Amino acid sequence: MFKLKLTISAIALMASATFANATDITLWVRTSSGAVLQGLADKYNATHSDKVKVTQITAEQMVPKLGAAIAGGAAPDGAVLDLIYLPTFAAADGLEDITDFVKGLPYASALSPSHIRLATYGGKIYGVPALPDASIIAYNTDLFSKAGLDPNKAPASLQEIAADAKKITALGHDTYGFYFVANSGSWLIYDFLPHLWAAKADVLSEDGRTATIDTPALRETIAAYRDMAKAGAIHPTSRSGNGNNAVEAFASGKVGILMTGSYIVNLLTSKYPDVKFNVAPIPGPKDGESSFAGGDTLALMKGISDEKKKVALDFVDFYMQPEQQVYITQESGMPSRTDLAKEAYAKFDKRNLVAYDVLSKARTPYTFSSDELFVSRTGPFLNLIQGTIFGEDVDGTIAKTQADFTRILQRTNPN
Amino acid sequence: MSSSLRRGRKTAVVHGEPEPKGWLGLAFILPSFLFIVLLFLLPLIMTVWMSFYNWPLLGRAKFIGLANYAELLGDAQLWHSLGFTLLYTVLVTVALFLVAFPLALLVDRPLRIAGVFRTVYFMPVVIGFGAASTLWMWLLNPDSGVFAQVLRATGLIDSAPRPLESFWPALAVIILMVVWKTSGFTMIILLTGLQSISTDVIEAAKIDGANVWSRFRRITLPLMRNSVVLALVLNVTSSMLAFDQFFIITQGGPSNSTISAVFSIYLASFSSYRLGYGSAISFALLIVLVAISAVQFVFLRQRPEEG
Repeated sequence: MFKLKLTISAIALMASATFANATDITLWVRTSSGAVLQGLADKYNATHSDKVKVTQITAEQMVPKLGAAIAGGAAPDGAVLDLIYLPTFAAADGLEDITDFVKGLPYASALSPSHIRLATYGGKIYGVPALPDASIIAYNTDLFSKAGLDPNKAPASLQEIAADAKKITALGHDTYGFYFVANSGSWLIYDFLPHLWAAKADVLSEDGRTATIDTPALRETIAAYRDMAKAGAIHPTSRSGNGNNAVEAFASGKVGILMTGSYIVNLLTSKYPDVKFNVAPIPGPKDGESSFAGGDTLALMKGISDEKKKVALDFVDFYMQPEQQVYITQESGMPSRTDLAKEAYAKFDKRNLVAYDVLSKARTPYTFSSDELFVSRTGPFLNLIQGTIFGEDVDGTIAKTQADFTRILQRTNPN
Repeated sequence: MSSSLRRGRKTAVVHGEPEPKGWLGLAFILPSFLFIVLLFLLPLIMTVWMSFYNWPLLGRAKFIGLANYAELLGDAQLWHSLGFTLLYTVLVTVALFLVAFPLALLVDRPLRIAGVFRTVYFMPVVIGFGAASTLWMWLLNPDSGVFAQVLRATGLIDSAPRPLESFWPALAVIILMVVWKTSGFTMIILLTGLQSISTDVIEAAKIDGANVWSRFRRITLPLMRNSVVLALVLNVTSSMLAFDQFFIITQGGPSNSTISAVFSIYLASFSSYRLGYGSAISFALLIVLVAISAVQFVFLRQRPEEG
């Protein structure tokens, strides 16, 4: 009897030891978000027996490496990647369905709608927002005053932006009214598409499968940009810019209005404290406002074990808690939840709230071929912008873009 | 001679030693053979095979026959890239010879100082193209770059020069960088040719009263033919395959005007993730390169009667 008790105790002990075994999960994170995710993982690992290991991958390598890893059966347990790629990976059956988890969260309604939309495929949810950001405009209040404009009143339409930009350019001394990054697809969808969304238009249908290029909103937007280009109000490095000089140009005090993103507030206040600026949502051609919901989504890879899935989702719930949300806001400018303004921004510059408030209205193109349509240097979207704003044949360029979009969509739409 | 060769016997005895077996020779070339098969032939076969597929990064590859090649023929941007690459190849090859030939003649002296100069001219060659491109990016920065500061200090300009904003200045910058970086290599090849010319021939020409120009045109150049051909083929091939400098410095701009042929492969494969189409461009470029090299060899090959 004693022996039997001993045996049972021993088995029980072994079993509990097995259950107490810590589980490690691997997360691939793009370098731009690496420091924040590593910080969150460190906090989590310090208080949990299960561990989160973060591997940083350069932004442009993330998609090919993850794609190759999934194809080769060597995928990580999860990845924190640009939200725009979620439809592609979900459609390719590469991601784990976490619908029940997301819907069961007490703060489910406070997750960025655009991030959830992009993470949804076939009615199932495959990701949660990690580090969101939103595009906005920043304007130099000193230059506004010098040009006789009201520095407390942000331009409420693109036509106003054009008018203000021309007045600021007239100040001379190498001053330009407007700066946008015109030679980078990923920047353009971030800063240019919101003009169209603000006017309830888009370049893709709701399901991302059809091109809808030629709209009155697009033509009005292009007209305003052409107006600025012809008047010499656009900074000379805009046309071939890839984003590297945009902040420096604005910080030099020689640019009136900059198309940018939510990170700009913390960046300018910490690195260029002398710049007097304010921020506002991106307006439509005549009125309205919108924004591009950008940033990162966390997704789990298909086939993750139940044990690891539990840990990964526990980590998600961990970073969604107010304390971590404050840390995320401090490090990357915006919390993952939209119901924590008071806590998240208590210690920060209130100008951050502009992007935070607009995030609920922000959109993101739902597409299965983001790189080919929007990001590629030789892609149709970049040619549309360059051709219509700086070229001569607006009608021809729009027609060609519609044809190119259609051709690519026919080839890449999942069945 | 004690060699005895008997018919019907596989082993000939030369100086009393048996002739090595055939398989021994094969064993010696086997490592190189395997190397070429694994790192050249197999990838080439794989590339050709992939070029017949619609091969996305994610999802299933679908056989589409010659559709990638049909698309390639109608791809205006690709033709532009090929045209641009040919233009760049012609310009950079001419520029390299114009710089490297005088350099080779200059350092072809039996002086100790000539060795120092040889080393100095050759030094940029050992830097990788990526590093050299990044260095030039920094030199060219319109606001903080060395070039801009020197030009401003000398009063030649007052606003920041932006050579990458328009096509010809951007191309000129790239050619300048490539000449700086690779002319040392061409110089060494030409120098080898120069030093293989017997001094007797030059001396004889001097005695016959040939002047410097005449000696260079009628003796030095013809006798250096092989070195010139080698330098030409190497320069043309590497220029046709140029990528790093455009990827880093111009990033294909302004307005996609400096996208080289290899850059197009990169964009198709790793920007649009169309691995099949990228493979088709790769194979087409290989055919173009083989054709160009064949033409060069046919026209420039040493004719037997000139040997």
